[in-house]
Amino acid sequence: MAPARLGQAPPETGRAPARSRRRASLLADYGPLGALVLLCLTFSVLSPQFATWGNLRNVLDSAAVLAVITVGLTFVLMLGAIDLSIEGVMATAALSVALLIANTRNDIDLGFLAIVAAVALGACFGLATGLLSTGLKIPSFMTTLGMSAIGIGIATVLFAGVQPSVTSPAMGEWASGQWFGLTRLTFVAIGVVIVGLLVQHYTRLGRYARAIGGAEDLALLSGIRVRRYKTIAFTFAGAVYGLAGVMVTIQLGSGIVQAGVGQNFAAITAAVVGGTLLSGGRGGVLHSIVGVLIVTVLVNGLVLIGVSPYVQGAVQGVIVVAAVAITAWPLRQRLRVVK
Amino acid sequence: MSAPAEAPVLAVHDVRKTFGETTALDGLSFEVRRHEVVGLIGENGAGKSTLLKMLIGLEQPDSGSIALRGEQIKMRGIAQAGAAGIGMVFQEQSLIPNLTVAENILFGAEGDAIVGGMYRWKTLRQRAQAQLDKIGSTIDVDAMAEDLTFAERQLVEIAKVLATEERTNAEPVVLLDEPTSVLDRDEAEVLFAQIERLRTRASVVFVSHRLDEVLQVSDRVYVLRNGSSVAECVPGEVDEAELRRLMIGRDLEGSHYSEERQLPVQDEVRLRVRDLSVKGVCESVDFDLHVGEILGIAGVQGSGREELCRGIFGASATRGSLEMDGRPIRTSSPRSAISSDIGFVPAERRREGMVGTMSVAENITLPHIADVCAGPVLQRSKERRLADDWIERLRIRTASAAAPLASLSGGNQQKAVLARWMVSDSLKLLILDHPTRGLDVGAKSEVYRLIRELTASGVSVLLMADSLEELIAMSHRVLVMKDGRVTDVVDAPVGAKPTPVTVLERMI
Amino acid sequence: MTVQIEQEPPQTLMSIEWRITVNSMMRSRRGMALATAAGSLLILSGCSAGTEGTETDVTSDAGSTETPDSSAGGTCAPEEIQLIGQVRNETNPYEKAWLDGGDAFAESVGLTQTRLTYDGESPKQQEQLRQTLSTGNPECMVLNVLPNGDSDTAPIVAEVDAAGAYLVTHWNKPADLNPWDGHDTWISHITFDGVDAGAQIADAIFEEMGGEGGIIALQGILDTSAAKDRFIGLENSLEANPGITLLDQQAADFDRTSAFNITKTLITKHGDEIKGVWAANDDMALGALQALEAAGMSDVAVAGIDAVPEAVQAVADGTMTATVSVDGPWQGGIGLAMGYCVLTGGLDMADVTQEQRAFFARQTLISAENAEENLTPTANLADFECGNLFDRVTGPVS
Repeated sequence: MAPARLGQAPPETGRAPARSRRRASLLADYGPLGALVLLCLTFSVLSPQFATWGNLRNVLDSAAVLAVITVGLTFVLMLGAIDLSIEGVMATAALSVALLIANTRNDIDLGFLAIVAAVALGACFGLATGLLSTGLKIPSFMTTLGMSAIGIGIATVLFAGVQPSVTSPAMGEWASGQWFGLTRLTFVAIGVVIVGLLVQHYTRLGRYARAIGGAEDLALLSGIRVRRYKTIAFTFAGAVYGLAGVMVTIQLGSGIVQAGVGQNFAAITAAVVGGTLLSGGRGGVLHSIVGVLIVTVLVNGLVLIGVSPYVQGAVQGVIVVAAVAITAWPLRQRLRVVK
Repeated sequence: MSAPAEAPVLAVHDVRKTFGETTALDGLSFEVRRHEVVGLIGENGAGKSTLLKMLIGLEQPDSGSIALRGEQIKMRGIAQAGAAGIGMVFQEQSLIPNLTVAENILFGAEGDAIVGGMYRWKTLRQRAQAQLDKIGSTIDVDAMAEDLTFAERQLVEIAKVLATEERTNAEPVVLLDEPTSVLDRDEAEVLFAQIERLRTRASVVFVSHRLDEVLQVSDRVYVLRNGSSVAECVPGEVDEAELRRLMIGRDLEGSHYSEERQLPVQDEVRLRVRDLSVKGVCESVDFDLHVGEILGIAGVQGSGREELCRGIFGASATRGSLEMDGRPIRTSSPRSAISSDIGFVPAERRREGMVGTMSVAENITLPHIADVCAGPVLQRSKERRLADDWIERLRIRTASAAAPLASLSGGNQQKAVLARWMVSDSLKLLILDHPTRGLDVGAKSEVYRLIRELTASGVSVLLMADSLEELIAMSHRVLVMKDGRVTDVVDAPVGAKPTPVTVLERMI
Repeated sequence: MTVQIEQEPPQTLMSIEWRITVNSMMRSRRGMALATAAGSLLILSGCSAGTEGTETDVTSDAGSTETPDSSAGGTCAPEEIQLIGQVRNETNPYEKAWLDGGDAFAESVGLTQTRLTYDGESPKQQEQLRQTLSTGNPECMVLNVLPNGDSDTAPIVAEVDAAGAYLVTHWNKPADLNPWDGHDTWISHITFDGVDAGAQIADAIFEEMGGEGGIIALQGILDTSAAKDRFIGLENSLEANPGITLLDQQAADFDRTSAFNITKTLITKHGDEIKGVWAANDDMALGALQALEAAGMSDVAVAGIDAVPEAVQAVADGTMTATVSVDGPWQGGIGLAMGYCVLTGGLDMADVTQEQRAFFARQTLISAENAEENLTPTANLADFECGNLFDRVTGPVS
């Protein structure tokens, strides 16, 4: 514990900005939603296929895996930490579920238990990250990066050169089966989002995650077991990444090491675009999900309106930067330092 | 204190500035003469900050004029103000911690110390040293800013402002924004001596919350209220009470420190501290704190009082024994201290006292979340009712219990922070580390009133305060600490309060 | 200064240490201490090697090493030869099979292959090679390397030139860097004609579609030469087949998940018009297949390139139309075999033609007819006999 420093007296900002500050935070909360609506309207005008039930299903189905990942990541981001372990955890979960369920590589078939095992394995990764970060006080940037490498390493060993394809018919049903026109996995994602919202709003974990991210010193001085709740948040996130790994495996019908490639960056982008700040304490599950939809709609819409693949990357980048800039516009202040 | 006939160095005439619907400055005029120290006082929101920002070019007036040495000027940014010879010593210190003193002093004004993008260290050091010599400082120009004490950093900032002389060939105007808020009393005295030296070569504007200081160092004092200057006083002709009355424009209800509500100390001992040590900072401290008592702790920076309080709260490791209501307790962590019914309000509200992005309600329930939980599940409606209740009881001015705490004014934020501990019926001891820091006069007296109410209900308080005057006025007794040891205990009953000097003598 | 010393007689080591010391004494005392320490370490490594050595090479600048006498009937005893295979990683079946092919060859000559993977990181690849070259006798080393990108090949070649080890590279090299331009130990560069592969699978799909209908194309990472060449092949075939229309082309970055999602979107856009999917690799083809299955479209012709086991299985099952095999196990063995043959005298560098030193190798279209036999790709050891090394040359790299 740092001794009390005779720090600066907190500067008073005076009365003037209170109103505009309120307006700003409103925009920070609802700006991304506005951006999403605007994107949807634009694409509807430009492409007749965009605003169809079929495409909505398509968008929701495509967003499912990223949404699940982002729910887990959001809790870590709210703490003010970062998680770069997603690719590794998903790789290990993907390979282990594929090898534990009826598959082409071995005779093991644990059925549904295989999924439980993969999710538990993900939770173990999160637990390890949490314990290392809090116990040894290693920044989460490093621990999670290490965990990712470990996860990919384990997955590579499990892979052993031959892709295990899932042969379980039940899993095949989950991959292609639909309820109300949406794939079953989309309902899994919706379930995870609801669980995430409940955890955020109605449990101590959610409350404490925001408190720790907002002012860790205060959390300590309020008697919150900061280390424990950080570890719990990482563990929850790990379990969710494990589930995402399982979902990808079900979708693709086989366990691949690359199950999570690109997802880490996509999830961070989605969370930030949605208004969950990397500095912690702000945003939440709903914000992040709006971000996920923005990212997904963007990819989908650009393909539908026929933007050449050679410029799509650049167009996506421009739109994302523009969206973040518009959202952050009222928050900008003179002399505010942004790093 | 003479008023020379020559034109003022700095003259602000009838400036106005509005932000949206709020008027920050409303026809303010004031002037600073050569080699004069001018005091500026006013409540938060009176326009001091806006005025200072205007003087260093961070804000532009909507109307009105600013004249420097007789010439009208318009400044857009600190760099232009510096070039004109106006510099500010910031309340939030503006030195860059990982640069050397020399680099800091000439930062942005390196001139011939940078040739072709490369630092010429020798020139840089020499020129920086020349500035430090002006104020007779012995600070090493090669020291890192972060290794300096707050007082030393302030001197470096003053040197930085003086460096503008080189460019303007005129005596600079030095703006000191709350310079003593980070200093202890003895350091402040050093600063005042420095200001005396400074006035031989510059004009000074001195802004402070501490009225005694303003009266001590200024030649003239302007009182700001609602964006304009309501009075121009000369120290010696007014006292603090008069200034305070001018600042808020009415008499405070009751006395500022609610002294009339200081109840006699009860005999029952609440906290018995024996042989308490915090490694390296304080040693074998003994004292008793009675039920309903406010025990002030006086001491300069480094006396170990902050660490002692943190130790009692379990935020620093301690040795020794603590007894609460006759039963031994151990406070190995804030968590265990809280379960022993101890609360703590830290000095750095923004960093340690509140989560600005969380709502008022969420901030209030933070340490006692179990009260509004059923198992792991939060009962948000119960939380809301509890918060609404306390918002009303403490008269916290907020749009709603769900508004982010950061959107409230400083005084209301602090009330919410106090509510956090008052929520618990079983609270026995509250440790207050500078609870009124950064608050304006009106907010301060409300906080004092709350502390009195708490003690009336039997809560004991350990208090560290911004000024000795405040500490003595609030406390039943004052524990004086020096170099990590308790050197004296001074009684401070109502009507027989010791003078600050009495306590100060024992501190140093 | 890099110092290469292995198997030194002690007296020369003394002189090296002395030279380093004198050299660094001019700079600083600390530098001297370091140099002395380094010298002692070198003595240790030299002693542990233990065998009679070759000439000391202290100056160590590139090109100073004498080229081994190419007319000699083998410069190394077979058991002294070190075989090294280096690929990006073992997380994909192709590169795994590559290294397995290398193992198979090594085993057939009574040696073991050192398996190196560098995770697709260029600096790591260079560092690994540098380390490897410094821990044995480079002149008896054979390196069969997959350079990370075109630009990585030049430093690899320079390193190997300096050390005198034998090198065979695959896939990536800048067009103006060629083995015959004074790189005596860079035996050959082997690559495959992407244009040809792209055209082969395009033709296979078009045939399946009966020469009519719309297709979608899934491209790889757009700025790679593999993606570019394969797509040119598709375009060439499209020109020859006017009945086929390219409905849409998107980049799915060689990635299965993106291919899955993009195909779903394209199905929304084009619906039943899609009769064929041309994918620049099998991973994307498999992702597309999954999306088509989810949409209930089972009669679409899908083809990819690389012949990963799952794709070959899909071709055998009839869900996929075709894929193209470049034969990973063959690539893994052939480079080692070339070096082994040179070092043991089975191949004379003087007999290797310019065409054989940078060539396109044969690739096989895998369709329903030959899928079964390609299910488990294994190396055919006959390919690695010194007389058969260049049997698969189809033409010079243009």
